[in-house]
Amino acid sequence: MRTVSHRVNTKKSYGSSTELGKSTSELLILKPEGYPLNGMIEEYPVVENRDVFEFYAREQWNGCIARKGDYLFDRRMFPDFAYRIIDVEPAESVIGITTSIVVTEEESSLFPTTEINSDVVFDDVIGQENAKRKCKLIERFLDEPERFGKWAPRNVLFFGPSGTGKTMLAKALANKTNVPIIPVKATQLIGEYVGDGSRQIHQLYDRAEEMAPCIIFIDELDAIALDRRFQELRGDVSEIVNALLTEMDGIEEREGVCTIGSTNRVHSLDAAVRSRFEEEIEFVLPKEDEIRQIFESNIKTFPLPVEDCDFEAFAKKAKGLSGRDLVEKVMKTALHQVIIEDRETVRAEDFEKAFSKLGKNEPTKDPSGLYV
Amino acid sequence: MQMAPQMGYDRAITVFSPDGRLFQVEYAREAVKRGTTAVGIKAANGVVLLVDKRITSRLVEAESIEKIFQIDDHIGAATSGLVADARALVDRARVESQVNRVSYDELIGVEVLSKKICDHKQTYTQYGGVRPYGTALLIAGVDDSKARLFETDPSGALLEYKATAIGAGRTAVVEVFEADYREDMDIEAAILLAMDALYKAAEGKFDASTLEVGVVTLEDKQFRKLVPEEVANYVQQILDKHSTPESEE
Repeated sequence: MRTVSHRVNTKKSYGSSTELGKSTSELLILKPEGYPLNGMIEEYPVVENRDVFEFYAREQWNGCIARKGDYLFDRRMFPDFAYRIIDVEPAESVIGITTSIVVTEEESSLFPTTEINSDVVFDDVIGQENAKRKCKLIERFLDEPERFGKWAPRNVLFFGPSGTGKTMLAKALANKTNVPIIPVKATQLIGEYVGDGSRQIHQLYDRAEEMAPCIIFIDELDAIALDRRFQELRGDVSEIVNALLTEMDGIEEREGVCTIGSTNRVHSLDAAVRSRFEEEIEFVLPKEDEIRQIFESNIKTFPLPVEDCDFEAFAKKAKGLSGRDLVEKVMKTALHQVIIEDRETVRAEDFEKAFSKLGKNEPTKDPSGLYV
Repeated sequence: MQMAPQMGYDRAITVFSPDGRLFQVEYAREAVKRGTTAVGIKAANGVVLLVDKRITSRLVEAESIEKIFQIDDHIGAATSGLVADARALVDRARVESQVNRVSYDELIGVEVLSKKICDHKQTYTQYGGVRPYGTALLIAGVDDSKARLFETDPSGALLEYKATAIGAGRTAVVEVFEADYREDMDIEAAILLAMDALYKAAEGKFDASTLEVGVVTLEDKQFRKLVPEEVANYVQQILDKHSTPESEE
């Protein structure tokens, strides 16, 4: 199974360092990459003692040329286990007995502290006043966390039908505050193996605490905070939920960490997780005048001019649609149609057509006549 | 979410969850909450049933939607929940009361009838391959010169009430009754109180054409439905009562 010819950077293929006249490396940063082939071997070596590993590595790779991006293969304890060279100084130098060798773990890149790149501001979220008020409070807290003490907002839940602005509001909050916001897709927290999920949740909060004050925004929370009744449905439900529970309000206080969860299936959340949220903010479908506002504010960004449209009439028609439906299904459809037909203005009938395409996608009502 | 098979305790009605619940039966109770409100209230001189019907389209003939049924001369029932289940149960109740007449040559007692209906409902929570009835019944009548009012729910549970409600507006109606019910009210006062409660439960959507009222008095022991004019009269009183304070505001 071993393919010796594929190895690079071995003494065999490059010879000794003196022949090529390169300088000795000062620093070598490695990252474990795993085996080149997948077989029955389940062992995955972990560096236990970094000092000992350094000597071990220096000795076996002594004389190899280290280039950034190349791979080094272990030849002794775990033959063919690969390490990638993340960085080497100076570039293209030879590993010698004075080289310091550092092994990094990959986890650091797991939760990016992205500044969510968006230009969404609070005013773009139309309606949902209740949620906005809470966000302003969170903003205040993050400005001066010491003033709030134990009364700080810690866990807030956004729930409501999809397309009503939950994620948008979180983006607006991220945009507004100067504190880092850690956006997490809940599905990202579920690992490949049982045990990964809880480990990643703990890591997430460890990291958040280091960065405190900060906000963790968990989108689609129901993916990880599923009711523990569904244990049979997914084997690791209890494990993940318990990890989340202890992190949200456990023995260790996570100071200055504020969690915002968002879900559109609030009823499938675990009851204990739900109770950890001090406030549940419902996002509702927009009312008629809010629909009109959504229309008007989005029309400003239209690339084409709009002619004689009666937004009042549209608002009546669009009742029961969410903000996203309005923008994506009605406005976008109408605009695209106009562009395809090479016209210069968007007219009322284009919107009408988009509405009629929606068909009867009204929110599901009781089948009439079945219940009295 | 796709429920994997054998995952839950709501797969079969006959299987208890570890904390002692029969989920399918509880879900059947939810079906009752999908129905419109039905109210029963005892008065000093009789018992009253009121229902608020939901008319989904103006093309529907309102009379064809039935929520109050006569079971026997002296007994009526109001239903909430699955319409078809309600009719099956009402049919059953009618047969039971006729069986009683033929067997014993006397009118069936309201409590006896309610228990028979509940026994029947209960069997549908204990045997495999069936589903519970998705309907609750309010059974009201007079026996031994006493007004009786029973509520039967999908589990087969039976309770006698002075005044109660089933269906979507239950909480709102019961709230009003808790505050204002008195045992010495006569039938008129009882109807007005129940209508007032329905008015609050319906949040203003209130119309004589969607209301039905059934009455059994102690005096004649006969179940009868009020004619639309009588209902309209009561409705007008409620509307007047609610419009005056509003106009003052």
